[in-house]
Amino acid sequence: MSIEKRTFKIPVGPQHPALKEFENFTFTVDGERVIDVDFRIGYTHRGIEKLAESKTYIQNLYLCERICGICSAAHQGCYAQTVEELAGITAPPRGTYIRTLIWELERIHSHLLWLGIAAHEIGFDTLFMLVWRDREVVMDLLEMISGNRVNYAMNTIGGVRRDISDELKHRILKGLDILEERTKYYKEICMNEQTILVRAANIGILTREQALKLNAVGPTARASGVDVDIRRDDPYGAYGEVPFDVIVYDTCDVLARILVRVDETLECVKMCRWVLENLPEGDIRTKFGRKIAENEVVGRVEAPRGELLYYIKSNGTDKPERLKVRTPTLANILPVCEMLKGGYIADIPIVLAGIDPCFACMDRALFIDESSEKKWVWSREQLRIYSIKWYKEHGHEVVRERWKQ
Amino acid sequence: MAVLSKLVKWARIKSPWILHYNSGGCNACDIEVVAALTPRFDVERFGMLLKGSPRHADVLVVTGPVTRQTKNRLIRIYNQMPDPKFVLAVGTCTITGGVFRGGYGVLGGVDEAIPVDVFVPGCPPKPEAIIHGVVKLLEKLQKS
Amino acid sequence: MGEELKIENEIVEDFKKFLGENFIDGNVQRKGRVFIKVKTDAYKEAMRHALEKWNTYHLSTISGVDLGDTIELLYHLHDPANKITITVRTEIPKSNPEIGTVSNIFPSALVYEREVYDLLGVTFVGHPNLKRLLLPEDFPENVHPLRKEWKPEEVK
Repeated sequence: MSIEKRTFKIPVGPQHPALKEFENFTFTVDGERVIDVDFRIGYTHRGIEKLAESKTYIQNLYLCERICGICSAAHQGCYAQTVEELAGITAPPRGTYIRTLIWELERIHSHLLWLGIAAHEIGFDTLFMLVWRDREVVMDLLEMISGNRVNYAMNTIGGVRRDISDELKHRILKGLDILEERTKYYKEICMNEQTILVRAANIGILTREQALKLNAVGPTARASGVDVDIRRDDPYGAYGEVPFDVIVYDTCDVLARILVRVDETLECVKMCRWVLENLPEGDIRTKFGRKIAENEVVGRVEAPRGELLYYIKSNGTDKPERLKVRTPTLANILPVCEMLKGGYIADIPIVLAGIDPCFACMDRALFIDESSEKKWVWSREQLRIYSIKWYKEHGHEVVRERWKQ
Repeated sequence: MAVLSKLVKWARIKSPWILHYNSGGCNACDIEVVAALTPRFDVERFGMLLKGSPRHADVLVVTGPVTRQTKNRLIRIYNQMPDPKFVLAVGTCTITGGVFRGGYGVLGGVDEAIPVDVFVPGCPPKPEAIIHGVVKLLEKLQKS
Repeated sequence: MGEELKIENEIVEDFKKFLGENFIDGNVQRKGRVFIKVKTDAYKEAMRHALEKWNTYHLSTISGVDLGDTIELLYHLHDPANKITITVRTEIPKSNPEIGTVSNIFPSALVYEREVYDLLGVTFVGHPNLKRLLLPEDFPENVHPLRKEWKPEEVK
């Protein structure tokens, strides 16, 4: 079977593109302190919104799922429910509950993944390995339910595609018990381990005023005392019925961002249990006709990283007129720039990680030292190693300085 | 399995160093590549180590559909690697562009930019499949 | 039914009164979703009014849609107290796609306006840093992929 290679003429600008490379971030520094931050995104710009206009509503289920592989269910679920509203159909209760279960299981996987990566950024590789080993429990559950570890494709327009048997329900509940116990252990570590406290407490401050003014979203906002969560404030799926607490911390630092996510993971476990124990009988999906009459809908979902917004317009055909997606990471870029200003260069990796960025992250950064007029480029790995080394040498000074404040 | 244990022994002597580069993908393949390093799958038993610099790497592991912004960097990284060098392309996006095929933002296959030795299809491929790809690559390395 | 959408309807009436002849249309789509269409001359006032009267400090994003002869801009605002998403919308001519920036009122617009500039070619007058956000540097100037008439095969 030969793969037919279609080449699309990709537009090229007037200047000849002599292998230019660009840095994602440019840091203006003074000695060891960050003064200003400029960013360039677009590394993962694949032209999805344009592509979606030439695909059917069903095909776009699989396109939207892959906007982000870590929160794929958030994207697909938001897309599906927005299209359902567009078409004037409602997923049956059992389908809605299963969709919600997948959303919460995904939040567990995403937060645990993040915790491991954050640990790696500060050189705490033992924790990284432990967390990713335990994360396999939720990966197995997702595979048992959907057939895949990532990109579960559980949603369809009108509900979900696969049901959950009683046997499976039982196994998921057992898995949730393990995840709960392990997450509680990680919470203990995060609140007591010096390695983490030195690198996270009082670092990367985003005040509540700044979080509100810059419209931060998700755990990043909730770690700065902003009490918003779309699941409670603009209920969708089964969230109108599932009891849960919104986790808010007010220390406004990286440690708060860690604890918000850890506590949210524990909350997810409770929610998954409730959904399974109260799973209604009935169909898991309802019929969907191919075409959708002219309409427009704003759909919002609380993805693991924060507010995910879909604006979809229909035009009477089987393809959308316009699909607009605003990912939570885009909303947190200005807040993270604020957090970095005034901090140490050595804090950059963990502060960036703190917003749980969902772009092909920081590959390279350009540094411009104002006072010495030096310029240099570091890869992500170089910056990570520098920051671990710097904290080994200066950690105690930093802590003393913080105690004085 | 005798073949596998021979490879394991050989790999321990050779210990190929890997550079991982995401060319604008959704990160699904990247998490599975990293998962392959964690205890459950443990690709380190083949002696593979993740390194940060192209100048020290033997193997380039690429994910993603190669967006326009990442294409030049990908080519440069490949050029900076010393010979003999090998490329492992992970995920359907690296083969055809995956679901993004036809979008103005993507190239439609890593081999449009650099030569590839092994493709691992899947969206994303499971860590076991990635390890299978690694073994295939080691066979190639052994022959070189 | 009437009681359920009380605040949503209040919002529409309030904008109608505030904007007068600059108010084009108001629509309560469902609970929590209000759309207000305004004349371009008054859209900034409308945004400021939303913030001051309804405390919509949260700008979720700015959606741009190519309608053929015009480009429609939808500003999705959120009122956290009443938990309502108010979308303020206006149309600008494609022949002269210019509109004032709102980044002095909503700082997050600094990012969202760049996105609409990049992909649809709308100029936000007064934006301190209106440059590309997503498209690569070597993508040709004045080519905006989200315009309906643009097709990938056509260029070059």
